[in-house]
Amino acid sequence: MSVESPFIISIPQESLSLLQQKLRLVTFPDELDDAGWEYGAPLTDIRRLVTRWSNGYDWRYHEAQLNMELPQFTRDIDVGGHGMLNVHYVHKKSDAEYAIPLLFVHGWPGSFFEARKLVPLLTRGSPDHPSFHVVAISLPGFGFSEAPRKKGFNLDQYAEVCNKLMLSLGYNEYVTQGGDWGFIITRRMAHLYGPKYVKAWHTNFPGGTPPSLLTQPLSFLTVLFHFLFPSLNPQMQAGFDKTQKFIQSGSGYNAIQGTKPQTLGYSMADSPVGLLAWIYEKLVGWTDGYAWDDDEVLTWISIYWFSRAGPTAAARIYYEVGGGNALNLGKLMGTPEYTASIPHGISRFPGEVAILPKSWAKSNRKIVFDREHERGGHFAAYERPVDVCGDLREMFGRGGPAFGVVKGRDGYNSE
Amino acid sequence: MAESSFKISVPDAKIDELRQKLRLTRLPDELEDAGWDYGAPLADIRRLVDKWQNGYDWRVHEAQINSELPQFTRDIDVTGHGTLNIHYVHQKSAVPDAIPLLFVHGWPGNFLEVRKILPLLVESSPDHPSFHVVALGLPGYGFSEAPKTKGFKLDQYAEVGQKLMLALGYNEYVTQGGDLGFQINRRIARNYGGKHNKAWHTNFPIAQHPSLLSSPLAYLRALLTPYTAFEKAGLERTNWFETTGRGYYAEHSTKPQTLGYSLADSPVGLLAWIYEKLVAWTDAYAWDDDEVLTWISSYYFSRAGPAASLRIYYEVAKGDKRFPPPSEAPTIPAGFSYFPKEVIVAPRTWKKLLANVVIESEHERGGHFAAHEVPELLVGDVRKMFGKGGPAFGVVPGRTGYA
Repeated sequence: MSVESPFIISIPQESLSLLQQKLRLVTFPDELDDAGWEYGAPLTDIRRLVTRWSNGYDWRYHEAQLNMELPQFTRDIDVGGHGMLNVHYVHKKSDAEYAIPLLFVHGWPGSFFEARKLVPLLTRGSPDHPSFHVVAISLPGFGFSEAPRKKGFNLDQYAEVCNKLMLSLGYNEYVTQGGDWGFIITRRMAHLYGPKYVKAWHTNFPGGTPPSLLTQPLSFLTVLFHFLFPSLNPQMQAGFDKTQKFIQSGSGYNAIQGTKPQTLGYSMADSPVGLLAWIYEKLVGWTDGYAWDDDEVLTWISIYWFSRAGPTAAARIYYEVGGGNALNLGKLMGTPEYTASIPHGISRFPGEVAILPKSWAKSNRKIVFDREHERGGHFAAYERPVDVCGDLREMFGRGGPAFGVVKGRDGYNSE
Repeated sequence: MAESSFKISVPDAKIDELRQKLRLTRLPDELEDAGWDYGAPLADIRRLVDKWQNGYDWRVHEAQINSELPQFTRDIDVTGHGTLNIHYVHQKSAVPDAIPLLFVHGWPGNFLEVRKILPLLVESSPDHPSFHVVALGLPGYGFSEAPKTKGFKLDQYAEVGQKLMLALGYNEYVTQGGDLGFQINRRIARNYGGKHNKAWHTNFPIAQHPSLLSSPLAYLRALLTPYTAFEKAGLERTNWFETTGRGYYAEHSTKPQTLGYSLADSPVGLLAWIYEKLVAWTDAYAWDDDEVLTWISSYYFSRAGPAASLRIYYEVAKGDKRFPPPSEAPTIPAGFSYFPKEVIVAPRTWKKLLANVVIESEHERGGHFAAHEVPELLVGDVRKMFGKGGPAFGVVPGRTGYA
């Protein structure tokens, strides 16, 4: 029987000291004239952030804010073949009597922090919309969860941790929300634990598999037609262009993390500015004109810097799931064996890194909700919490396509 | 264009800064029994960091390099990119008619890679040709300035090499190189071949399968010729490299600046990034810790900093072809050396279209850093190519390489 302990983020003073000492010794690289964002994160941005980090940014203040806003806990979870891992999570219950248990799963370079804005919205009770008990897990190796110690901690293991956490909280039936790795993990959960435990799943990272002529002839022909006459569907072409751009010039991090995460990891563990640039480039590149505040960025990065296992551990998920092979990782957008029996909801944001035709997600999922938005990017829960919350309320609310999926917990105060 | 003689003399403040950073090193965790699977092992890196802090003396190695390698700098104007101050090694042979040879390194190498082959190449003997050797420090590497402007591609690197040789009075010359040095030398051969560049030798002749459409005969020959044991092993090694070993390339060629912050700021980060290749790309070479640390220190103390060395990947990936078509092959004589632990080992039938290959040598040992690992084998191949009876003998008129 796993025991829950309340958790307060409380980074030791010596860790704060070490960070400051390192920042004081920072060495910046040169930069080409007029480089802009072409070669990576611009020097002016990084200099400004480092200056702020070492003078003005107050971690203790933000630490206290997080502790105040997000009730956090840890508990030991046993993972088959990997022993016991101490897992950190946010758990905020709604004031609604029959709120729907919802597990939020982050990705990389995300963390439990991504749920920050969503939590108060989802948990607020009202007769007009459903509400949720929210659990935001820190995946093993991220945030304040322990990292796996052994090789081979793969998708099934991440899924197992997530499912066991919900069950240990008494949530025998629940729904999930996730993007990035959160999408891939919750998809696996839907396959392994749905419909017994997982009753429905929602994502803001649609993905999809190219249609095959045999199973989706119409979709296949649509795509074929499009490639022959690309100008007839500029929107579809723009999506392909964006996706191709991401693959060709935005996925270097994926290639190195999927093959040599340890080699990269020495830099990530040792250099605050190195870690900052590595993640900041994605915070800006993958969002839709989101007006990052410097302190906001620094808090996001500090969670990685001060993480329990250190920043190196987080990247290993790429290696484990891809099998150490860069080419395999690319196939993850599609779907290895998956049976689509539980309701699935999709929220599409234009700033997402890969934009694929809607039909590509249909091939093996039971899509009951599919909404396109005008603004927002990869970190949708953080950039557009009202939109994501709105979509979840619509999907699970009275009259919605997934209303009442969790027995006895329809999201309201009375049946 | 004036030449200045150059001695490496890293400021005390920089050595001190390194020491301070090393003292604050924060190492990552590691999975049990990770070995080399996930990258450079923690035990190796920890040991190297400890040595770097305690016991490794840069000044000793700096003095040794200065005593072994006669170094110079000179300004070279690059069209559209202004003037760059270029660092190079230049040693003349005692043989007046020695063959001028330009040695071009790659990444994560630099001018230090010429260290072991230099005395062998300049050595005079009735039994083999000798060379006047110029080892170019590529812009952005070692003690050469880095470009400040975007778009510094193969043509520009080639221009620097060519102009350097002409400035030294070597109107006609040959080249040797691997890694990026192969691509730069191939461009030199294409742009300046015939008139100035007379022949080229490489230990990194990378190639892809001939295309049916553009080279049907070569395609068929490649398809029908059975692979030798060497080639089969080579294809496996190539596959290993392409699927598990090119992550560095993906980042260098797309976001070199992002990675650059880490390499500039973190000595251990830089150490691991390069050390992983020093081991993975060599053929069981018995690296000495001080040898590794000198190699890494030369990156840490480089004039432009380690971030600058990555940008060539971005520029070349954007503007140059990885596998140019046969129509773009240089016509001057080429020599290819094949080392079993090179990272890309293509079958011979694939390579024939790359150049006018006049000599090939296959070896039983050696890897990517051939000049450093197996200097006598590499120099042996170069001597065979240019020596009496060799296919490129006398290719530089009036300079046979013999007394």
